[in-house]
Amino acid sequence: MNGHETYETLAAVYAVGALDGDDLAQFEAHLAEGCQPCATGLRESRETLARLALTDTRAVPPAEVKSALMARIGRAPRATARASRTGWLTWVAATAAVVALAAMLTSGIVASRYEARLGQMAREMAGERERLQREEAALRSQVVALELLRDPATRVVELRSPSGSNAIARVIWNDKAGGHLVVANLPPAPEGKAYELWALGGAQPRPAGLFQVDASGHVAQKVDAGGEPPKGFAVTLEPATGVPAPTGPIVMASK
Amino acid sequence: MTTAGEEFIRRMAAGDRDAFGHFYDRYAPLVFPLILRIVRDRTDAADVLQDVFWEAWQGASGYDSARGTPEAWMITRARTRAIDRIRAVRRRSETFVPPVDEGLAPAPPEPGGDAAERAEDRGVIRKALNELPHAQREVIELAYYAGLTQTEISARLQQPLGTVKTRIRLGLERLRDVVRRAT
Repeated sequence: MNGHETYETLAAVYAVGALDGDDLAQFEAHLAEGCQPCATGLRESRETLARLALTDTRAVPPAEVKSALMARIGRAPRATARASRTGWLTWVAATAAVVALAAMLTSGIVASRYEARLGQMAREMAGERERLQREEAALRSQVVALELLRDPATRVVELRSPSGSNAIARVIWNDKAGGHLVVANLPPAPEGKAYELWALGGAQPRPAGLFQVDASGHVAQKVDAGGEPPKGFAVTLEPATGVPAPTGPIVMASK
Repeated sequence: MTTAGEEFIRRMAAGDRDAFGHFYDRYAPLVFPLILRIVRDRTDAADVLQDVFWEAWQGASGYDSARGTPEAWMITRARTRAIDRIRAVRRRSETFVPPVDEGLAPAPPEPGGDAAERAEDRGVIRKALNELPHAQREVIELAYYAGLTQTEISARLQQPLGTVKTRIRLGLERLRDVVRRAT
């Protein structure tokens, strides 16, 4: 069925008054565009249906209808052509305004619903991206640690708690490349505090990075190379901003 | 050329009450049977008839002969108002839908008298309707006289919407051909 045949079908259904839904809107829009074949076809169909309806002549109208009508038009002045047309136009304009408003409201509601859904999806995406970034960073640091371990010059220094807790840290260290710190079983630092790693062996302990552990007491992070090759490592509890020289208690230390 | 009907409407638009009386005498007998056929109740039909002619009086200046004859103008209006009435009843009852068989009742015998001049024409058109394939006639009757929409007809006959549309189109095309040949 080609494009205009579709309209011819819709025109027939429209003529018998049965068009509804999207078809009705589509056909009325097509008519409003001034399609002459459809207007002519519709007129012919209506004439045909009128003639068909006129074949039915069983019933005679009740006489009282005419007298009621004649009395009615005698009482009420008929609206003038101008007034009735203006009224009609006002009605059309008002209807159009209501329809447009309804469409705006509907599309507004639909749009805001989609916006809310899109916003939620965006937040989910952002959360997911952060999680992936964290996992990627962790994976990279593990790869770095493995690379370090492959080097014969790399050593692993173990740090234990002087108090005898089961907290443990290992520093995978290479004098040229730097190192990698992995920690387990260390309780999270109190509010406003952070753990600080120190490289020992020079005249003064060298600060080798601040760290926090996650809820399960774990962390893995890179340690930059620099300074004298360290003989050992220690961890102290310090203000969260870090200090240039250790001030707090020793949490873990190498032998 | 202006027909008598068009002349009445023109005079009605100018506020001529006598013209309205003549107009009523001429067209009420034509539209009342259709209204009665649709609404089925004589009191309701009388109400609809009064509304339809009141609207014609009020809207006479809006009549455009280019868009149809006075007969089509009045029949279309009468059919619309009658369908409005049964749809309102249907909404209230939620159940009433005229059975197909009643809609397909055979045509009544032709009367004589003042209708005689149209009798031959009527015979041709009525015959054309009667000769339509049942499936085509059924959908046209359900739409035009029972006021069902294409979706309602589709559900009622348990036929695809496309089939309903096509049947309406084919049936109406055939009726138009008959009318075209008869005039």
